Amino acid sequence: MDRDYYIFSNGRLKRKDNTIYFIDSQDNKNSIPVEQTNSLHIFGEVDLNTKLLNYLPKYGVILNFYNYYGYYSGTYYPRKKNVSGFTVVKQALHNFDYNKRLFLAKSFIDSAVHHILRNMRRHKEDIKELIEKIELERLNIERANRIDELMGIEGRIRKYYYQSFNWILRDDFTIERREKRPPKDPVNALISFGNSLMYTAVLSEIYKTQLDPTISYLHEPSTKRFSLSLDIAEIFKPLIVDSVIFYLINNRIITLENFDDQDGICFLNEQGRKKFIREYEKKMSTTIKHRKLKRKVSYKMFIRLECYKLIKHFIGDEVYKPLKAWW
Amino acid sequence: MFVILTYDVGEKRVNKVRKHLKKYLIWTQNSVFEGEITDGKLKKCLSELNHILNREEDSLYVYEVKSPKFITKTIYGQEKNIDELFL
Repeated sequence: MDRDYYIFSNGRLKRKDNTIYFIDSQDNKNSIPVEQTNSLHIFGEVDLNTKLLNYLPKYGVILNFYNYYGYYSGTYYPRKKNVSGFTVVKQALHNFDYNKRLFLAKSFIDSAVHHILRNMRRHKEDIKELIEKIELERLNIERANRIDELMGIEGRIRKYYYQSFNWILRDDFTIERREKRPPKDPVNALISFGNSLMYTAVLSEIYKTQLDPTISYLHEPSTKRFSLSLDIAEIFKPLIVDSVIFYLINNRIITLENFDDQDGICFLNEQGRKKFIREYEKKMSTTIKHRKLKRKVSYKMFIRLECYKLIKHFIGDEVYKPLKAWW
Repeated sequence: MFVILTYDVGEKRVNKVRKHLKKYLIWTQNSVFEGEITDGKLKKCLSELNHILNREEDSLYVYEVKSPKFITKTIYGQEKNIDELFL
């Protein structure tokens, strides 16, 4: 029931009556129940003060900030409470040992490809060739001996996958190739926006566990980025973000009117972002009966379960088996 | 679990109760709150309320609906508070 709130209007966020208040520029007051809040996503121009910043960590509320174009710029986190030196040391050792690292990198890609094919299978007739090409590349994953080799395979699979979008998506949406920084067409803009929401979702789940978000396996652990969240997001991007994109476009919920073009940079306007987020939140809270846990689990919880599985793997409890959607 | 909570308390305590409930649920009307909440959080909320309420005079009703699917809400006239994903 922990909810996320998205703030698009400009205004002021403050602590009042021992809960969170948002006052927008028209002086409309909105109270947000702290106990039920997981994180706040701030897209508008919002003022806040230290009183609020001192108050939120008590309830573990996370503040995510996005810039004018809707890209993730940073997060205000509560002091990390779940720390375990033991787990972090083990986690680092799995990066240090190249074979162990390779195993995890392969697992992430294998799961991602599983979900990619799962998305493509619905349109089997038209994209038979592309599916075959991907399945052929998939065989190379087992054989790969180096991480960069693995990255190459992943890159090629992604290329075929994005080509198939032209068949999966409605006619007025096409993609030539994936372009980040900046996205130049609507489909790229959607993928970029969706992925940046995914990264923050994964990161906030990692923060709830003992894992260190900077030690990664598939992506090179470098400075300045939380690369473990990139690793785990790899699994969930095709499963969650891409299927939301297909749904929105093919049901004509998002149309070309929802995009703005500024000097060749294409991005979602406010209406478009709201439509996307509404569908994305719905998807994230969809539940599936878990086979092992024998209870219903939301997509969001699946991300956290993935972290727990990794911890079990690190401490030698159970070998990591990546999520492969069975439903 | 979906909960509708109504209260009728002494004037002195009205504000205290309102402020407290705001942390957990969404304010719908004067003396009425509603929203999704877990069993544990509801227990926590009620036990904290227990310190504020005067058992002799005040009353508090809690209506629980196990699944929000089984509830339909129709609003006539003015909607006082819109609970939205977006602000």
